[in-house]
Amino acid sequence: MSEAFQTAVLNTFSVNTLLAILLSATFGLFVGAIPGLTATMAVALMVPFTFYLDPVTGIAAIVTMEACCIFAGDIPTTLMRIPGTPSSAAYVDDAYALTRRNEHQRALGVSLVFSVTGGLMGAIVLIVAAPQLAQIAFEFSSYENFWLYVLGLSCAAIVSRGSAAKGLLALSIGLLISSIGIGSTHGVPRMTLGIDQLASGISFIPAMIGLFGFSEVLRNVRSPVVREQPAESPGSTASASRLKTALEDVFASAVCRLRRSAGRILTSGAIGSFIGMLPGAGADIAAWVSYAVSKRRSKGSEHAEYGRGSLQGIADATTANNSALAGAWIPALVLGIPGDSVTAIVIGVLLMKNVTPGPNIFETHLPVVYSIYITFILANLLLLPLGFLAICLGSRIVRIPRHIILPLILMFCIVGSFAINSSYFDVYCMLAMGLLGFVLEKYGVPLGPVVLGIILGGGLEEKFVQCLTKSTSFVEFFSRPVAAVLGVVCISLWLWPLFARILRALRQPA
Amino acid sequence: MQHHAARRRLPDSERCSTPSASFRPSVDSHRPWVCLHPVDSWRKFRSAAAMSGFASLCRPFLRISCGSYNVIRQVEAAGPLLSFVLIGFVCEGCSRTDQYPNRPITLVCPWAAGGGTDRVSRQIAQYLENELDVPVNVINAAGGQGVTGHARGLQARPDGYTLCMMTPELNMLHWRGLTDLSWQSCEPLMSLNEDPAALFVRTESPFKTITDLEEVVRASPGELKASGTANLGTWHLAMAGWLLSFDCQPTDVVWIPMRGAAPSLTELMSGGIDLVCCSVPEARTLLDGGKLLCLGVMADRRLDLPGLDQHPTLKEQGSDWTFTGWRGLGVPRETAPDVQKRLVTALQKIVKGESKHEGKTFPEYMDGEGFERTWRATDDFAAFLERSDATMGELLRRKELQGVGSGRIGPYDFPWVAGGLSIGSLLVIGSVAFRARHAGPVVEVVSRHPAAGSLSVNWITFVVVPLATAAYALTADTTGYIPIAAAILLVFSLLLGSPLRTAVSLAALASVAIYQLFTCLLRVPLPPGWLGW
Repeated sequence: MSEAFQTAVLNTFSVNTLLAILLSATFGLFVGAIPGLTATMAVALMVPFTFYLDPVTGIAAIVTMEACCIFAGDIPTTLMRIPGTPSSAAYVDDAYALTRRNEHQRALGVSLVFSVTGGLMGAIVLIVAAPQLAQIAFEFSSYENFWLYVLGLSCAAIVSRGSAAKGLLALSIGLLISSIGIGSTHGVPRMTLGIDQLASGISFIPAMIGLFGFSEVLRNVRSPVVREQPAESPGSTASASRLKTALEDVFASAVCRLRRSAGRILTSGAIGSFIGMLPGAGADIAAWVSYAVSKRRSKGSEHAEYGRGSLQGIADATTANNSALAGAWIPALVLGIPGDSVTAIVIGVLLMKNVTPGPNIFETHLPVVYSIYITFILANLLLLPLGFLAICLGSRIVRIPRHIILPLILMFCIVGSFAINSSYFDVYCMLAMGLLGFVLEKYGVPLGPVVLGIILGGGLEEKFVQCLTKSTSFVEFFSRPVAAVLGVVCISLWLWPLFARILRALRQPA
Repeated sequence: MQHHAARRRLPDSERCSTPSASFRPSVDSHRPWVCLHPVDSWRKFRSAAAMSGFASLCRPFLRISCGSYNVIRQVEAAGPLLSFVLIGFVCEGCSRTDQYPNRPITLVCPWAAGGGTDRVSRQIAQYLENELDVPVNVINAAGGQGVTGHARGLQARPDGYTLCMMTPELNMLHWRGLTDLSWQSCEPLMSLNEDPAALFVRTESPFKTITDLEEVVRASPGELKASGTANLGTWHLAMAGWLLSFDCQPTDVVWIPMRGAAPSLTELMSGGIDLVCCSVPEARTLLDGGKLLCLGVMADRRLDLPGLDQHPTLKEQGSDWTFTGWRGLGVPRETAPDVQKRLVTALQKIVKGESKHEGKTFPEYMDGEGFERTWRATDDFAAFLERSDATMGELLRRKELQGVGSGRIGPYDFPWVAGGLSIGSLLVIGSVAFRARHAGPVVEVVSRHPAAGSLSVNWITFVVVPLATAAYALTADTTGYIPIAAAILLVFSLLLGSPLRTAVSLAALASVAIYQLFTCLLRVPLPPGWLGW
């Protein structure tokens, strides 16, 4: 074992690999920060190059890029309200609310520190328990997955602020949008109005950019946001003390929060790793669930903050989505089953290098496994300084005058929605979604559940149809142990308000 | 980064050896002028111009970080640079040779990033880039069970600048009435591989040979459950054909629609289904890990890849059913013959392993990934497509397969529930609002911010934003990215009250910078249009 570890250390700390890690970290931050470009896309762009690198270097580059991409997605989310990657969508309202209060440095600091924390926690879970936990993936058949999706959708009820009816309206609009196109279950074009491009449905990325980013541009045009400008720091300040101020701005509240709510962060990390390791669920669902749990656990004034700039909500969600990344590697390495789209690419890269992921990888290619572990830790540690730099550069955006930055944001909305499929139709989708988002917000309907509905709708229907095709009665939805537990949890979650009311009614006359 | 080095490596010597090419009159209708300039110096000039444009755009960001400079002044100071960029711009328009190919080629992949087809597409794109000496960008037009991607690739302008990676769905979708496209809508160039389908069960399952399976299907039809893809997808047809080959009905094994091979294999391992039909590379990791048993490969002979040659074919076990999934490149119908010839020559060099990229050949790559690599060129490929189309038609027209998919849940049940929910919640919200209006003072939900400009200007701008977006989608393909983007930036910036010089600088610099950023660094092709930037 120690010999394998030595080889791994030597391989990982070679000049080539370190250089690849540094370059891919920079590239990852860059791609992640551009709205519309996802971690999957960044990694797919990398693949042709990994063919010419040795396995450890190639995999190290992918790991680093993925981690940096997911964090960088928070930068446009916070500063421009355009979620950079789908996993940032859960806390976009909180992050942007903080920017409007001129606390974007704090928001980004929290998201950086907790991205790193989450990433490290995920890495530890991967290192310590991968072979044991991987078996869980095999426990999840379509019944369990169905309940998982239902649980995910139930989060909408928790995360949405305002009235329950408005949350439900938003969710059902999302579900309706998700059912457009030729679905994977029926193979029949639905609601396509005879438009060919609608056959593939509404792409998720343009929808998200439209709902949040474009609608914000519209809102800003109608009623300009007046931000209180911070006092201009005198130009003569020494650069050393400026650096100190910046460090304080970014890290102070994050580190303090880390100390205060360690228990909750642990929970979020665990949720993230667990959801990440299930095939078919990924970082985005992890972020939503963790945000909902976090909101549930909060009390008093802290609870009221959710959706209006809660640092705790951002911390929990971002911890979860980063630990989910490492979680997805568990089934990929141990079983050869991809946990998400990035690990699907990784399996291809490994196969190309004659490393077959699967139970035997711990015997045949132990050094590769160890170097993956080391890279996960290294990448997350590297994210700290690089992320800080990115925050410092990015934060200048909020001080650019409105007549320059708004046109640029509009341009990025257009190009971002175009980029994912190079399709003009996606630009129309983005436009339509933007107008929808503007109208919904005007009437106080939350946008989060719409996005959740679009993400989960297709999968929910698919799993439901699969279950019904297999089974003869509804009892079978509870026939497997894990499914039964998940099902009972879901149903009790819905019925809880009713229960609570009955209990109160019973108690009062007594 | 790296691909820059890769792309710049080849051109100079090759271009110099064929100087006559640039003197021929242009045939490109978009660019009627003839141009005599050596290509490469302009290319370098263009890059330099764009880089300086980008740098000057970045300067405000850097300057504000120093805290003491005014942004507007910075953008205005970029005036000289701006003119430099504009010169680069105009010159670029006449910097092209007229020989095909002279601008970036787009390769449409009808499946999502990360899958097998995507991996093959991205790799062949690298080799084509080497051979053709222009960038070849892959775009993923996934969804609609392949309708979207094939339509994008095969209904594009037949100028040879859009290639399509085709898969068996091309021959299936039109039989199901989902599209008019068929193999006749393309000019087949070259097929790259043929992965046979195979049947997999868990190692612990009672089935050890294909005969065990056949007996159970015969004895109790409808008991076994299988998956691999969506209803009537490639692997579903493979299984249906196998069932028909021993006189069973396609419905005798219940097909559970799944999104693809990966989720189906997970479902198989979790015990949710009994059988998976998919290609061998898709199941390879679990197969090598000893978790799966391959009961039969639907090919004439065993796979000749190390480790995979131990799996028996159906033929060895007395069935004559074969089924292969394939991947091949095509261009839209009516693409000029010499363009096709150029592409086929390049592809032939690649699949024969004569073209090296960073020391490796394409066949070496395919072997490494475990992809089978039978290739067929033009006529052979066309004949293959015709045969496969006939087989698919025969299968898909059978009435036993017509009813598949209309299970207990109809396609519109789910949308109806969602629609019902939204109408219901709308009614609730409406009634609450109605009661609130009659009960007490109106509560303002959206907080208003003090408006900066006058109301009418706001209204105009408000209307201009969506219109500009629509205008982009309508015109960008003809005009190209840079002109329309510059126009949008200019108008929007002016409406928001910026001085003319700032707006002009912003429009010119940002449009060029974003274009270079996306096309060069991120390999996302933006429309080149009139300027051919």
